Parts: sequence; structure tokens; C-alpha cells
Amino acid sequence: MAHKEHQANDNYFLSPATWTTVRNSLAFVALASWIALAAGYALDRQQFTFSYLVAFAYFVSLALGAMFYVMIQHLTGSAWSVTVRRLMENIMRTIPVSALLVIPVIFGTHQLYEWTHAGAANDPVLSKKLGYLNNEWFIIRAAITIGLWSLFSWRLYSVSRSQDANGSIEGTRTAERWSAPGVVMLFVTASLASFDWVMSLDPHWWSTMFGVYFLTGGALSFMAALIAICLALRSAGYLKNSIRDEHYHDLGKWLFCLTVFWAYIAFSQYMLIWYGNLPEETTWFHRRLAGSWSSMRPLLVFGHFFVPFFVLMPRASKRNLKLLGFFAGWMILMHYCDLYWQIMPILHTKGIAVNWMDPVAWIAVGSVYGLVFWSGLKEKPLIPVGDPRLEQCLAFHNV
Amino acid sequence: MVTSLFAKLGLPGYEVNGKQPKHFGVIGDFDTPEDLLRAIRTARAAGYTKMEAYSPFPVHGVDEALGEPRSPLGKIVMVCGLTGLALAVALQWWTGAVDYKLVIAGKPLFAVEPSVPIMFELSVLLAAFAAVLGMFHLNRLPTYYHSFFNYSRSAGASNDRFLLAVEAADPRFNADQVKNFLDSCGSRHTELVEA
Repeated sequence: MAHKEHQANDNYFLSPATWTTVRNSLAFVALASWIALAAGYALDRQQFTFSYLVAFAYFVSLALGAMFYVMIQHLTGSAWSVTVRRLMENIMRTIPVSALLVIPVIFGTHQLYEWTHAGAANDPVLSKKLGYLNNEWFIIRAAITIGLWSLFSWRLYSVSRSQDANGSIEGTRTAERWSAPGVVMLFVTASLASFDWVMSLDPHWWSTMFGVYFLTGGALSFMAALIAICLALRSAGYLKNSIRDEHYHDLGKWLFCLTVFWAYIAFSQYMLIWYGNLPEETTWFHRRLAGSWSSMRPLLVFGHFFVPFFVLMPRASKRNLKLLGFFAGWMILMHYCDLYWQIMPILHTKGIAVNWMDPVAWIAVGSVYGLVFWSGLKEKPLIPVGDPRLEQCLAFHNV
Repeated sequence: MVTSLFAKLGLPGYEVNGKQPKHFGVIGDFDTPEDLLRAIRTARAAGYTKMEAYSPFPVHGVDEALGEPRSPLGKIVMVCGLTGLALAVALQWWTGAVDYKLVIAGKPLFAVEPSVPIMFELSVLLAAFAAVLGMFHLNRLPTYYHSFFNYSRSAGASNDRFLLAVEAADPRFNADQVKNFLDSCGSRHTELVEA
């Protein structure tokens, strides 16, 4: 039902001046932070590698969350999300740059992972895992996973872009055909990637749920970032009628739902280990609750779940853009805390030791992904103008 | 006999009331959801308040146009969900740590960690019951008799027609005026319906 009064009169193109200003500031931030990071590398290589891994895992998971959501929109034939889908696709489009940004991780495997150490060959458990956990296969798996992600993200993005011009339903069908195997591919490869990059920091330990945990956290921070980007564009005067409170309401529902799903996954992993109480499994939590690391537990339990869960539950708070914007920013921070808590206790075993390289690495990696994201907004429409469901989306109304 | 029993029980639709109105109201029949919405808005502007719309599928905007308040179902579900949560804690704590203390595998008699699945399940169970039963209650289901079906074209609301009833309970109700009014809004068939 397209009520004509919902017709949007938005400018779908960023003004070139705005685009250039943001591009220049992003480029400046990227340059400054990478120079600082290079200095950090020279000063303390160990700290650099760990700070970098947190930042890299953060933005890879975020971009994978974007790819997951683009695929889900196609598979479900969603109409409500059409006006935000191009922004999703632009975040997804940043994935190929991971091939470049993974390089410091590959060169840092000796700093990061116990399985690269000489002692691993004599370890009764690790010696059996070395056929899988070794530098050659680490690189091969990274190449395959990032290659597959790049292929799917490029395909989904270019199909959507070509629809801008021709508006053909064929584009929607092609995207659906890519999305179904894409979701399967994504969960398998994201699991492999998270096993390699994050889980193998504790090479004795394993959790089959870890891939879903990684992807859920990424999807959550992606949804938070998407809301933040939409609100930023709105405050700059863009897409005010295309992304209305009805759409924010649905984005808010996703943010709410993902905090629940994250808690579900994180707790399931914890509860099974608590119940089994086996030394080889509890060691993961033991390390992460040592010293002042234990203060991360209430932060994650309340900050990552209970507070956003109860605050975002009522309809009114999902339609309150200030509150929604605050929690978008909050969840962006919480996902960082979650990854920091998963990765850093390996380096700082006694307790939390925040280093200046932690935020700098996050900004450095983030600004590169940000530049790729921003390049997709240049002289291109901010929404998929040729999508057959666009009309339906503009008239969208929550029941 | 059954009817009088229902009436004694005071079931919806069977209320015995000395001042029971003879008429349910006037119902108009519209071609499209847009026509229906326009008619509702015009009627509201004209001061009618007691109205009900009947359509084969949910029409976006009808609730707002009719001035319906938000459903209290969410709050009912919340209360019942929290009741389930409290029940689950009480159940596990009392059976495990009070009534029949038994140490299993060195675990505490009561701990939050293994209790969470039951807390979650009972919250969801009671919330789901509240959602379904609360929906039935708020919709006054089951209703065994409804005057709406006295309208000769009531079946259209399950097919392709969009109906609007201005009920006799409306303080501004006047059968002839309402009939003329709905006709002027574009109704294809307007009828005074018996209660």
C-alpha cells in the first residue's frame, strides 16, 4: 500500500563538498594514526601486534556482520530495509581491504600464538594440532576466506549497483541466488577465521560455538554502526524522509535482538564450561578472570546485555532517536570491550593494562575501512534507487 | 436454553440489558483500503468516535485513524514473563537448596549458572501464554454472537471489501444522518444493522 503522502523528497547524493571534507579528515586521521602505529611497532612489537589484532578482528567482524545482513535482506525479500540496504552494502564492500590489513597479523603470528613457538612440538596436545595450526595453512586459510568474502561482497554490491540504472527485478533474483549459498559460506568461513585469529590464542582450548560468537558480536557492532551512520547522515540533512522513525524502530529491534542473541551465545558457551568443570575448558575463563580482568565480567554482563536489553525493550525507546543513537555508540564500544577481553589477557596475564596503541590501532584500522566505505558514497546514490521494493519501503509502517 | 445460559454467565455478546439498543449501528462498504482510511478520517473529523473497521487483511494506518490506543498486551506479557522468571528461581532454589539438599558433582546446592536455562524457559513460557491468552481476552474471544454478522454483506470483510461501522453507542449517532454521511464518503452499500 503506497500512500502517496509518504513519498520521499530526499537528496540521494552527498554534496561533493561534504564528501571531500569527510574524505580528507578520514585520510588525515588514517595517516596520523598509521604513523603513530609505526612508532608503536618500533617501540613494543608485542603490544603493537595484540592491539592490532583486536582492531582487525573488530572491523572484520563488523564488515562480516554487514554481509550477513545484506544476504538476509535478500533471502527474506525485506521491503522495510531497502532504504538502509545501500549503506549496509557499502559497509560490506569494505571486506576486500582485509586482505591488506591481515598482513600485520600474519607477520605477528609469533608474537600472538603459542602454536608458533618451538615448545609446541613437545606439547602432547599442541603437537597433534600443528598439522592444522601452522604459518603456511594460516596464510592459505586467510587467503581462501578473505577471497570468498571478497567475491560474494563484490557480486552482491555490483548487482545492487547495476539495479540503480536498470531497475530490473532480475537483479533482485540474482542477489537472492548468491545469498543462499552465501550465508552457508559465511558461517563456515567466519568460524574458520575466528578459530585462526582469535580462538587459537589459547591453542589448547576449543569451542565449536566460537564462530557464531564472533559473528554475532560483529553483527551487533555492525547494526550499531549502521544506526550511527544513518543518524549522522540525518543530522547532516540527508535521508530524513527515506529513513524515518518507522525504519529506526526496526533497526532498533535488530539492535535489541542482537544483544539477546549475543548473550545467548556467550552464556551458552560459559554455562557448558561451568557445568563440565574440566580443567582444559575452564582455563579459557580462568585466564580472562585473572586479576583486574575479572572487572570485565560485570561490564560485559550488564553493559553488553542487561542494560541495553531492558532499555531497548519498550517500543518508545526504539523510536527515540537520541536514546537509540546513544545505545548504538554504546554497543560499538561494548563489542570492542568484548574482543579486548577475549584477546588481551593472553598478553597481559595479570590484569588489564590499557596501552595507547589500543585506541590508536582501532582508529588506524577503522579509518582504512572507513575510507573504503566512504569511497562508495561518492557520486553514487545513498539508497538503492532502482530497487523494485523501494516504493513499498518508503510507505513502510510498523503494525 | 443455551442462549439463556450464556446470558446468565454474562458472556460477551449475550449481555442482558434492559436498555439494550435495537441497533448495532450503520455499516458502509468501501472498495479499497484508501477509501476506508479516507472515510475513517472524515468521520473522525465529523466527530464520530465509536467506530470499527473490518478488512480482509491488516490495513496500515487504520489504528491511528480510528484513534485506537496502544494495546496493553506488551505490559501483560512483561509482567507474566517476570513472574515466570521469579517462579523459576524459587522452584530451583527451594527444591535444590531447601527441601531436598543433595550435592551433585560437587556443585553448589543453588547457583545462577545452571538455573539460567530454566529461568529463560519459564519466562518465555509464561510470556507466551500471556501473549496468546491476553490477545484472546483483549479481542473478547471467543465471542459467540456479534451483531456485525447481521449486515447483509459482512462476508465481504473476509474477501475483498473494506467495511466501516459507526456504532449506535456513538453519542452523535443518528441512523439517517450516519447513512447519508457514509454514502457521501463513497460507501457502495450502507445499511442500518440490528443488534
